[in-house]
Amino acid sequence: MTETIVTFEKVRKEYDESTVLKEVSFQLEKGKFYTLLGPSGCGKTTILNLIAGFTEATVGNVLIDGKKVNEIPAHKRKVNTVFQDYALFPHMNVFDNVAFGLRMKKTPKAEIKTKVEEALGMVRLKEFANRSIVGMSGGQKQRVAIARALVNEPEVLLLDEPLSALDLKLRTDMQYELSELQKRLGITFLFVTHDQEEALAMSDEIFVMQDGAIVQKGTPNDIYDEPLNRYVAEFIGESNIVEGHMVSDYRVAFAGYEFDCIDGGIPSSETIDVIIRPEDLEITSADKGKFVAKVDTQLFRGVHYEIILYDQEGNEWMVHSTKKAKEGSTVGIDFDGASIHVMRKNESEADFYKRLDTYTEILEG
Amino acid sequence: MTEKMKWSKLYLFFVFILLYTPIFYLILFSFNEGGTMNHFTGFTLEHYSTVLQDSRLIQIVVQTLLLALLSSLISSIIGTLGAIGIYYVKNVRTQEVLLNANNILLVSPDVIIGSSFLLLFTIVGFQLGFVSVLLAHIAFSIPIVVLMVLPSLEEINPSMLKAAEDLGANGFQILWHVILPNILPGILSGFFMAFTYSLDDFAVTFFVTGNGFTTLAVEIYSRARRGVSLEINALSALLFIASLLLVLGYYYLSIYSRRMKKVKRGVAE
Ligand SMILES: Nc1ncnc2c1ncn2[C@@H]1O[C@H](COP(=O)(O)OP(=O)(O)O)[C@@H](O)[C@H]1O
Ligand SMILES: [Mg+2]
Repeated sequence: MTETIVTFEKVRKEYDESTVLKEVSFQLEKGKFYTLLGPSGCGKTTILNLIAGFTEATVGNVLIDGKKVNEIPAHKRKVNTVFQDYALFPHMNVFDNVAFGLRMKKTPKAEIKTKVEEALGMVRLKEFANRSIVGMSGGQKQRVAIARALVNEPEVLLLDEPLSALDLKLRTDMQYELSELQKRLGITFLFVTHDQEEALAMSDEIFVMQDGAIVQKGTPNDIYDEPLNRYVAEFIGESNIVEGHMVSDYRVAFAGYEFDCIDGGIPSSETIDVIIRPEDLEITSADKGKFVAKVDTQLFRGVHYEIILYDQEGNEWMVHSTKKAKEGSTVGIDFDGASIHVMRKNESEADFYKRLDTYTEILEG
Repeated sequence: MTEKMKWSKLYLFFVFILLYTPIFYLILFSFNEGGTMNHFTGFTLEHYSTVLQDSRLIQIVVQTLLLALLSSLISSIIGTLGAIGIYYVKNVRTQEVLLNANNILLVSPDVIIGSSFLLLFTIVGFQLGFVSVLLAHIAFSIPIVVLMVLPSLEEINPSMLKAAEDLGANGFQILWHVILPNILPGILSGFFMAFTYSLDDFAVTFFVTGNGFTTLAVEIYSRARRGVSLEINALSALLFIASLLLVLGYYYLSIYSRRMKKVKRGVAE
């Protein structure tokens, strides 16, 4: 029982000569936490602007609650935004900032008071109602901005890199708070970030973007474990990506050896990218591993050692291990065949998921 | 280092002497018993009492103030709306053209503005008097207000305007609840600037004033032409003191408001 709240139908956006969004289509379901993830300039803010109504699609339709909203101005859409620079009103105190939306709608005074107090309670700023905005810390301003948006009870809350100006500790705290708030309120959140850890930690679903297009949609697990291609894999976290080729279904060759894997449906001898996450690799003695490599450098990262090795083909490998390795020594690298993920070059998202479905089923069956 | 300091101080001293000597000379002779500007013969307040008893002069002062108040008020409203209009022009070219059109009015000589207004009023058969002077003053004050308001518009964070729209404010509500409160300092300085320009103006007024209406500047000019009377010195001294008080008042007001801001900030932290 899921209801669609926002739909993009082949939306293109052009500014003068340049195409900023190329035929983007997606649907957002009610009550879920979505994240748009991609590098700066890939079109994330443009998507938010199209939903909020600050800009119009050149081609295609934007639907909210099943209704086409292309021509509806921003102030009439039941969508609210939390801006990256907070965009608070400096001439008003905290209470008046939060009350702004309700006042514009001519809500009765008593109702405004209860609603604003409730919203300030949600972001733990109840005692701050009469404070001036000037002089508040970044984290406090951010929470005022969230309360100011939420008090209007929007159907969708758009958040444009809301945490990027905060320091690391505060950012992590706010990640928990936001995700908890979203679950409690059941409002659809569309969160924009260029930080993959943030995306993985908070989202129900992630849309990975590249150059004005969504390249892969999926749950954090899907995207982390089964990235569509090298771009997504590199963007979503540290990984070992090496070139190899398919031998047959469930058999892949790289680093000078052949290995069993769980991927199929790719013509044999096609050149592919293989990805193995650093935490899936294990260092053993040279005779025990699946292939041998030479330890180059290692760094202590607190939870683990980050060890860099080179195999005999010259590929670089990164291993996360709780045990120390000896620099310059030759060791074996061991892993489970299931932790190999094979990516075809230039495969479309639809084909990728179709292939994944077919071949995983066969293996399991 | 100290040598340099000495020279720069000396230079400043010299400049200020140059600027203030005529004024102090004028004020000094307003107390002159002799009745001319040639020799200081003795101290008297006689000229001041003449000024205060000159009901025609008092009436002109009141008229001048009223004119300045009205023209600066009206031009503040029109100029602010104009500045907002220029701010909202999307095309950068058009915006620049408008801005330059505004600045040309600002730098063009008063004589030209005055005579062209006279021409205009005569062509359309407009009766010269208070209203014609008022219209002319409003006209030359608008570009001043535009110029003072534009910077504070540029300082507005554009995403704040987006936020207001996002929260359901329509165009008028954005203007009233967000833009105006944020550019109020600019509007106020525009208003004061227009006010002083109007008080100050001689050339434009001289052209468009009729027989019935005159301002202080024009009156002083015509009296000075008729012959030196120390009454004018006394009047000038009074005006000088008044503007001195105005400047001082403005100074303390700005210090006070800055301190208030700091107090507010202190509470918030
Ligand atoms: N008003 C505009 N006019 C022209 N180009 C724009 C405008 N707004 C955004 N762009 C361009 O669109 C691209 C995507 O911008 P944006 O959506 O803000 O990216 P992101 O939020 O992912 O960093 C950028 O290359 C940017 O330069
Ligand atoms: Mg952006």
